[in-house]
Amino acid sequence: MSADASDLSLVRRVQRGDKGAFDALVLKYQHKLVKLVMRYVRNPAEAEDIAQEAFIKAYRALPQFRGDSAFYTWLYRIAINTAKNAVVSRDRSPIEYDLDRSSDESYDIQGRMKDSETPEGLVLTDEIRSTVNAAIDALPEDLRTAIVLRELEGLSYEEIAAAMACPVGTVRSRIFRAREAIDRRLREVFEGGLGRAEELG
Amino acid sequence: MNEELDSQLSAMFDDELPSEECELLARRLSRDGELKSRWGRYAVIGAAIRAERGVRLNARVAGRVSARVRSEPELGAQAASARHARRWWRPLAGAAVAASVATVSILWLRAQGLAPEAPLAANALGAPASHVAAPSVALAPAILPSAADSYVVPPAPHGPVALVPTPELANYVVAHSMFSSPVARRNLLAAFMTGEAAGVGVVAAAAEPGDEPQRDAPGKAH
Repeated sequence: MSADASDLSLVRRVQRGDKGAFDALVLKYQHKLVKLVMRYVRNPAEAEDIAQEAFIKAYRALPQFRGDSAFYTWLYRIAINTAKNAVVSRDRSPIEYDLDRSSDESYDIQGRMKDSETPEGLVLTDEIRSTVNAAIDALPEDLRTAIVLRELEGLSYEEIAAAMACPVGTVRSRIFRAREAIDRRLREVFEGGLGRAEELG
Repeated sequence: MNEELDSQLSAMFDDELPSEECELLARRLSRDGELKSRWGRYAVIGAAIRAERGVRLNARVAGRVSARVRSEPELGAQAASARHARRWWRPLAGAAVAASVATVSILWLRAQGLAPEAPLAANALGAPASHVAAPSVALAPAILPSAADSYVVPPAPHGPVALVPTPELANYVVAHSMFSSPVARRNLLAAFMTGEAAGVGVVAAAAEPGDEPQRDAPGKAH
């Protein structure tokens, strides 16, 4: 099994003209990329715009991607450059400059104002978080440990197997069952009530 | 939905699925809307567990990117034209590299063929040894025509030439320097070097009377 085989198989499909495969890459990395961009800009809306631009740049540059590095490493560099350029061009604009950097206080206020433009989004984010946390709390111990070690600690299946003293196949099964259990609760959020706001694809 | 398929999807999301299975599942994932939604929710679960601050879990990035990508030209066609563009200049680039290597090789071989004479000629003209040890390709042909006609240049040796005088020779020249003229000293030095390289003895005839070399007693002062 090769590291990054999953991303590479999707990348190869995109390179052959399958745009649907790019959706899967975006879905997988959008949160990581927004988090990364938020090191450069303070409000989530702007970070999402920059992440979106980074994904489009990555899509256009994909024919040149040869797989020498991991896809996310390559995407990461594009996002960093896009974020830096966005910050520089924003700082060159005198109006934006006055709004953004006249003082730290006004900068924070502006960030909060932009956030408050999408209250439904904030509520949904909170609801998703609480649903996931409640679902994790309800999991059996072995499933909870497996999913937390994977998602929070970033351990590989082999490392988790060593930590939990069980075969790799068992780890794979536990993580899958944990995800399924959480996903059942999450689907209720997305499909009913607030879920109308955004379908993930 | 098929549980085995979902299990594979979960493993693929974690980069823990064998590459052959990834190829098959990637194809299905790119076309199956339900599978794609599940994949997206797996990403949301991960982000929620990591409690990524400030990141909206209902981010609209994916939907907006997808809409924009739909309006972009297909990459398959671009890649094919890029491959086509690369194809025509590859043989030309290869030929250019081969020609460059051949040119450099010829120049280097010529320089190597002329190099044994260059230090001797330059030495005969009174240049310090350190300056003539590595003659440049451009310099060697400029020196040699006049050097070859010079009366101080000994016949070209057939064997390899020792470019650095032996300690014996150096001692001898130093010992005799006060008794000989500069021209005779240079002649003697050249004769010594040629004689050593050719495996014959010292050319005594090149020296002035009274400056006969005494190789049996190299350290003896006069």
